[in-house]
Amino acid sequence: MSYYDIDSILTDAQKLPCTFELEVPGLGVLEGNPGEDIKAGTRIDLPLWLGEMLSIAARIGTSRLVTLDMPDALSERVMNALKADPRTVDLRALAPHFYHLSERILELFEEEEMVDVLTNTFKRRAAEIADHAHNPRGAVGGGVDFLRGLDEAERQLFRAAHDRAKEMRIWAGEAKRK
Amino acid sequence: MAFPLPRGITPSEIAFLAEMETITIVPRQRLEGMELLSGSIEPLGPPRRASLPLWLALLLKRQRRAHIIPPSWLHPEPLSLILEVESQHQDYKNAFSPPPPLPGQASVTDHETESIARPQYTPDGERYYAAPPFLPHNISGAGTGEKEVPALPFHWIEVGNMLLDAASDDLVDPDQLRRLLKDLREVRMAKMRSGVDALDAAATGGGGVALTGVGAMELGEERGFLTGVVDNLRKIGASKEQARREQLADQRANGGYGATQEDEEEDYMEF
Repeated sequence: MSYYDIDSILTDAQKLPCTFELEVPGLGVLEGNPGEDIKAGTRIDLPLWLGEMLSIAARIGTSRLVTLDMPDALSERVMNALKADPRTVDLRALAPHFYHLSERILELFEEEEMVDVLTNTFKRRAAEIADHAHNPRGAVGGGVDFLRGLDEAERQLFRAAHDRAKEMRIWAGEAKRK
Repeated sequence: MAFPLPRGITPSEIAFLAEMETITIVPRQRLEGMELLSGSIEPLGPPRRASLPLWLALLLKRQRRAHIIPPSWLHPEPLSLILEVESQHQDYKNAFSPPPPLPGQASVTDHETESIARPQYTPDGERYYAAPPFLPHNISGAGTGEKEVPALPFHWIEVGNMLLDAASDDLVDPDQLRRLLKDLREVRMAKMRSGVDALDAAATGGGGVALTGVGAMELGEERGFLTGVVDNLRKIGASKEQARREQLADQRANGGYGATQEDEEEDYMEF
């Protein structure tokens, strides 16, 4: 995760539900009414970078400022769906950077089971991606729905596999260079 | 990230490397010996066989100055045998057929002898182990012992493809060869991709995936995909791995036996 990695920057901007534990004067701008205070117990979606800072930084002090909740993309419902069949879930609709987001979340929460579910999901989907990528007709055909639901990390994987297979076919003279 | 080219090397670069392989030809014309950067070329006299780098052999073939003698593995029988082993044999359901033995290494059928490659020596007396493309896998008649097991050399896709392109009239039954090579490639590709399951263990638990016998071109093609999978699996499993390490550290702090040795091991694992 480098400083200039655009994917990690975009992951930072994903929203995370946070609950304020304390009353904060003058921070109502986050809620959309500037000049007001934020009451204790308010739930606001904050970007990952801000929520992370607020919740971790407070641990050093006396009481924490906000508590984090699981984002919808990693809710129990989604986990159950992934357990049932990883291939039918549209990860892109849940979060464009689904795996990056879950990596960051897993750093904050201890969820052993979620690691297992996500690992299994990624493996099952990677095998499927490889099959689609080596299909000479590319994304045309039955797999369009599946390929549309790939998250950004999976898209890069698909691209890597697909480009290599294509270069091979061009080298072997089976396909024309476009 | 900023570098626009994909990681790894392209198929044409791999093929370029494969052109260093030595191959046997029967010249049709006399040619004086040459001193090339890669070594000297012996003088060619028409009826006598000679071993040349593949690129030169292909050049002479295109100019109709030589016939190429196909390597021992590039025949329908050995290839169909390998294909059968790859697709039918139980032992090789998830593994690739073994690569050809290194010089001095006992072949697969010899279980008695220890299978350790014999080192070779440079003119200066330095020890080295020969590696492709400097192995005589494509020289016809080299090392054909009685019980030689057909095996695919490191550059089998490249050499096979280039010979089929340029010298198909010198090969035995080129159409069937082409079909066999394609089938072999597909069988092995499918194996490589099904290895994604095993990659998980490699990414989190310190396991490994055996790629023994995989050719250069196959590695080049799957490199981007496989490294991507391992990388992502590692990232997803990072927090679990972290927890496991902390647990280990706790155990070590409490129990404290064999701590020093494992500490050293851990240092190597950090990256």
